[in-house]
Amino acid sequence: MKIVVCVKQVPSTNEVRLDPETNTIIRDGKQSVINPFDTYALEEGIKIKEKIQGEVIALSMGIPAAEKILRDAVSVGADRGMLLSDRSFAGADTLATAYTLSLGIRKISEVDLILCGKMAVDGDTAQIGPELAENLKIPHITNVSEIIEVSDNEITCRTITETGKRLVKTKTPVLLTVLKDINMPRLPSIDGVINSLDASVIVENAESLRANKSYIGLSGSPTQVVKTYIPERKNESIEIEGDSETKSEKINSVIKEVI
Amino acid sequence: MNNNIIHCIKEDYVEYLRDESRTIGKAESISFPKTGEEVIDIVKDMYSKEVPITIQGARTGLAAGAVPRKGHVLNLSKLNNILGMRVDEEDNYYVTLQPGAILSQFKEKIKLRKFDTSNWSFESKKVFNNFCKKEEMFFSPDPTETSATIGGMVSCNASGARSYMYGPTRKYIEKLKLVLSDGDTLTVERGKNFAVGRSLVLKTDKGMNIEFVLPKYLMPNSKNASGYYVEDNMDAIDLFIGADGTLGIITEIEVRLLKLPEIIWGVSCFFENEASAIGFVEEIRRNLKDIASMEFFDKNALYILKKQKERNPGFERLPDVDEKMKSVIYLEIHTEEEKVALSNLEKISKIMNSSKGKSKDTWVAKNDVGLNRLIFFRHAVPESVNMLIDERKKENSKITKLGTDMSVPDEHLEEVIKMYKKDIIKENLESATWGHIGDNHLHVNILPRDNKDYDIGLKLYEKWAKKVTELGGAVSAEHGVGKLKSKYLKVMYGQNHIDEMIDIKSTLDPKLLLSPGNLFEVGKRSE
Repeated sequence: MKIVVCVKQVPSTNEVRLDPETNTIIRDGKQSVINPFDTYALEEGIKIKEKIQGEVIALSMGIPAAEKILRDAVSVGADRGMLLSDRSFAGADTLATAYTLSLGIRKISEVDLILCGKMAVDGDTAQIGPELAENLKIPHITNVSEIIEVSDNEITCRTITETGKRLVKTKTPVLLTVLKDINMPRLPSIDGVINSLDASVIVENAESLRANKSYIGLSGSPTQVVKTYIPERKNESIEIEGDSETKSEKINSVIKEVI
Repeated sequence: MNNNIIHCIKEDYVEYLRDESRTIGKAESISFPKTGEEVIDIVKDMYSKEVPITIQGARTGLAAGAVPRKGHVLNLSKLNNILGMRVDEEDNYYVTLQPGAILSQFKEKIKLRKFDTSNWSFESKKVFNNFCKKEEMFFSPDPTETSATIGGMVSCNASGARSYMYGPTRKYIEKLKLVLSDGDTLTVERGKNFAVGRSLVLKTDKGMNIEFVLPKYLMPNSKNASGYYVEDNMDAIDLFIGADGTLGIITEIEVRLLKLPEIIWGVSCFFENEASAIGFVEEIRRNLKDIASMEFFDKNALYILKKQKERNPGFERLPDVDEKMKSVIYLEIHTEEEKVALSNLEKISKIMNSSKGKSKDTWVAKNDVGLNRLIFFRHAVPESVNMLIDERKKENSKITKLGTDMSVPDEHLEEVIKMYKKDIIKENLESATWGHIGDNHLHVNILPRDNKDYDIGLKLYEKWAKKVTELGGAVSAEHGVGKLKSKYLKVMYGQNHIDEMIDIKSTLDPKLLLSPGNLFEVGKRSE
């Protein structure tokens, strides 16, 4: 089975530091990691490969430095990586990104299963998976919490919906987006890390993918991020002193005030 | 003095009669001062009434140092502001804080560079602005219990996993302000006042000279948090670090920060037998210099963790360990360049393969997400053992974990581990061992099933303390002596040297009011 796992490079932390003078975000770029949701997709791909044999290819669109996360994917068990990197891909929204990723998958060719994380922690859209499947004209199943059976031709999985759980059986090729409950991603071994240094990571650009320029990057993006800012949150701590009775009265009044 | 700040111990305050050692004490009153001036007022009041004072921070100590015997509890958890920042000519940054500041919160503030500077001096604010533009820094002492207060850490000279590379809390304390038992204050600053041989003169802030002779003992040649720090021509500040609150009340602390290494990677190495793991440690120690911490877990610790994982949803996300693995060594690589880190990984791999381990049996964490998983695993071990003991305690209140905190010099690691194992098997006790193997400092935890086990465990503890002393080690390497280990401090130094310690205390605290019961029993002098 040929499995492609889509991975995105995201900052390793959600903590945002601001320069006290300029009030701009300090980006030291020191640590970038595979989007946590994608690590579950990767683990599931590797588990399937271990079960029924096949090949796992990690695919990402990003800056040249994103090659690092593809090597990280190889260090835990992916066979190789493909990075789609070109200045003209910059500024892509989900539609343009999904189109670009679809070109990568067509280039890999004869893919049976595409696995994506539920969403990226920096964008939170959860749109890439379904849009990519539509681009490739294959079925997709979102929010998969368990793969029950898998063969080269067919896959049965459990998905979580707003109203409950659903068991879905479908023919391959298919795209799945997976939830955190699905598995426990492994950590690489020293051997895995060392081997990943020599692993094959191919870089493709707009030209080699024969991309339609009006579908990629900013020009292919009907939506744009105009401004990012940290939402204002009011956190206040009140110290309550006194004996138990006074304290409980004060707590009661604080709760009433909030409600 | 405002009498509202001293409260009678009623049921609202009973939790302040105990600490993490699970020891329960007694006291008549408690206060939560918010300023240094309030501390002075309270201390003067107690001095005039001759009421003993037990000092508390977050009560996370494991040696009952914060558990009162009688008198007044001076809880410093609300004396917790961060007061300012300075930089020296060599571009080292220093932060001044009050003793009640919590370690985890302090670390977070440094990481996010987010301090409330509204009450800081103009000079401090200027330094802070530069600090924000600098490379990332950190406060290196890292005890497992991150809810500890900085004051508590100074009082027991706390360490942690990373002390293997960076040393204990002591190394990062630059200045202390203390309130003495009579309310006078003392400021000690590193590099400003040294003993001449073993004679030391301190000058209080009021200008009074206090002179005394330091004890004559030699400190062990291993990681140590047992009794007063003394050596020839020592810096005066070192006497007050690790003094378990017996000499003065710390009201202000200046700590030094370090530049955070560019690369921090964690590696858990699994072994099918313990002897291979110990051989591996010795080789790593000889050959690798970028290792910041070297931790060990034995098969019993892994088994208890596995059992708790099956029952406790909080541990559900812990990675599974292959059942045939009997020991884990956790290493942390701190370095400036990725290629150096990679070459360390290659060396670890070689050493592991030549120590009857397999380099494929490892977990590598190369970023915060992975590191947090490995650290969660490391912290879950003591937690799961505590949970097991808490369950047993419900059935039998006398039962408590008997955890050792002893260290030995490098050449005796294997010998001491063999002794622990042999004695535990011989006495048919249940145990779990983990800890800072790089510093030859393991926490052997005897887990009594009944009173008999507990009594046997206590005897073993004393036997081990004697042996560790013979080997030139320390009876407490990081938790401090507090009340629970005072008898082992006596084993380590002998009553004559304990008397010398009492002499220092009597000079600084003539009415013997501060932290009675910590380090030694003042009533039990040899004469």
